[in-house]
Amino acid sequence: MKINFRSIIVGVIFLAILVGGIFFLKMKKAQKPVEVSRGIPLPAGAMIYRAPEKARGPSNAPVKLLEYSDFECPACRGVQDVVNELFKKYPGKIQLTFKHYPLQNHRWSMYAHQAAECMSVQGKFWAYHDKLYTKQQEWAVSLTPPVETFIKYAQEIGADMDRLGACLSDVAVTREIYAEKEQGTAVQVSATPTFFLGKERFVGPKEMKERAENAVRAVLGLPPISVPVNQKPAESQAANAAKTGI
Amino acid sequence: MPLKQGSNIMKLPGYSIYFLGRIFIGLVFAYSGYTKLMEPVENFRGVMASYEIIPYAVIPILAPVIPWIEFVFGAFMILGFQSRASAFVLASMSFSFVVLILITRIVTGALPADCGCFGEGSIIHLTPMQVLFLDIFNTVMGIRLALYRNHLFSVDFILNKKD
Repeated sequence: MKINFRSIIVGVIFLAILVGGIFFLKMKKAQKPVEVSRGIPLPAGAMIYRAPEKARGPSNAPVKLLEYSDFECPACRGVQDVVNELFKKYPGKIQLTFKHYPLQNHRWSMYAHQAAECMSVQGKFWAYHDKLYTKQQEWAVSLTPPVETFIKYAQEIGADMDRLGACLSDVAVTREIYAEKEQGTAVQVSATPTFFLGKERFVGPKEMKERAENAVRAVLGLPPISVPVNQKPAESQAANAAKTGI
Repeated sequence: MPLKQGSNIMKLPGYSIYFLGRIFIGLVFAYSGYTKLMEPVENFRGVMASYEIIPYAVIPILAPVIPWIEFVFGAFMILGFQSRASAFVLASMSFSFVVLILITRIVTGALPADCGCFGEGSIIHLTPMQVLFLDIFNTVMGIRLALYRNHLFSVDFILNKKD
């Protein structure tokens, strides 16, 4: 391999163009205004629906976590233990806001998000949220749309069934779910679960487990702690379940 | 065999295969690096973390570096600049991905649903098994390209020409 002076100069020029090009494109992308189109058109005469905020924890909590999640995603189920652990360790200090991010390759995900949003209107979002995750392996494997299963879960937590029935087929609600997803896409969320704590971003259960607690502690003004690297067997099992076997 | 001055490169055996192979590997890696560079680095960190055998301590170091290596050497391959060195780097990366996928499968018994090779926002999404075959091809082709001296339509060819 012959490297001569000419090669070095050409290499430096190529590198400058490539690196400069990437930074230029990134800058251009960052300046692009965010537009939320709400995906699907609203039928004539339909009522406009604005999704209520789905927040858990006190509104004056110093730690504001934002989660983009998909109900059918196993990793999102897996991360619930990490989140619950944070709530348990720092009571009253964390507020978690949920945003819909139904993934296209999860066939029943949109149905689950619609049902959850409908339960949100009735003030029962978090109970339903927990139900959907704990029972995920039951409904996600269904061969037909598990609408009846979702209705059964809603019944179990005391939903107003008439309101739920009307809401489940409401396109305005679907639009809002897509709008939340688009908000996420606009901030370059593309995998679930993605969490935000201020400007920090955590993608996936392992990132949450490894980094989130110290980020929370930093906001609370507490010194960092060392996070155990080895997972407990139960957690390993959950993490493995979050993957697709081949 | 190095090309002698005045000889016709198109008469060399398999030149078109090498040319197409070079462009293919270059495009795969340049696009893969580009899509990751256009996204927040945390997205790629999340992908790396989903391969459980990668020690978590190295993820924050590797995640910002790998996309740049892929993009720069992929672009060098397309341009045909330092083709042999670039082919060697990309073949080594492809081989390390093959090893990563196989060991992850053996140790954890499962693989992530998406390989994460092209960045989450990309139009291409491959499963780790699909990418395993792609990486085996890239490793073999990359080694062949690293051993091949005369790259057609390359910057190297122009630079190595005597004035």
